[in-house]
Amino acid sequence: MLVLTRKPGESIVIAGRIHVKVVRVEGDSVKIGIEAPSEVPVHRREVYEEIQRSNQQALTRQSAEPLKLPLAATARPKRKTAKSL
Amino acid sequence: MTSANVIEIEEAEVAETIPCCDIRLPAGLLGFEHMKDYLLIAKPGEAPFHWLQVRNNPALAFVVIEPVYFMPEYQPDIPQADVEFLGLTSPDDAAVYVIVTVNGPRRATANLKGPIVINRNTGLGKQVVIANAAQYSVQHPLPVNA
Repeated sequence: MLVLTRKPGESIVIAGRIHVKVVRVEGDSVKIGIEAPSEVPVHRREVYEEIQRSNQQALTRQSAEPLKLPLAATARPKRKTAKSL
Repeated sequence: MTSANVIEIEEAEVAETIPCCDIRLPAGLLGFEHMKDYLLIAKPGEAPFHWLQVRNNPALAFVVIEPVYFMPEYQPDIPQADVEFLGLTSPDDAAVYVIVTVNGPRRATANLKGPIVINRNTGLGKQVVIANAAQYSVQHPLPVNA
């Protein structure tokens, strides 16, 4: 891990296009500003890992067997068919 | 069409899927950033569940559902940067799906922290970490009939 020391107001550039700035330090919290192209997602690590784990658990191999999940639906809204999303 | 060649096929034999829509996730899914192209598919008898099938590897897919079918009060707060990324100009532009983890027969959970938000008009989508993620569970149990 590359460890750099920055003062509030100072920045770091990653891959020439992602900018990380120390905005403010308050007690034991650091406010960090990130500028990145819109296709570069930026997340707090713990939420990222939680969702990544969930995605991994959810990924499945399709089989010919149908899903057996008879949903006890609370609502059946009138909506468009699947064809029109 | 000659009647001699007509074969009666029982509904059970027809493993038809109804291809629906081409979905593009430029940022992929969290942990699967390389998987960017999908087909959103509905199979007979499985409504309201859909499959988000990986285009390059059709054997791989995610079960998804629009959360309105089990939690009409779900109100994901989509960050403005994501609204702009997806080109959403009104709430009607957005189709929201959540990923379902099937744990066993009639047991499943849904990820309400990271829904997949799709622009209905363009098929452009993103797995969004909603701003109010703390309010919801990443493993919300689905109400399934015994």
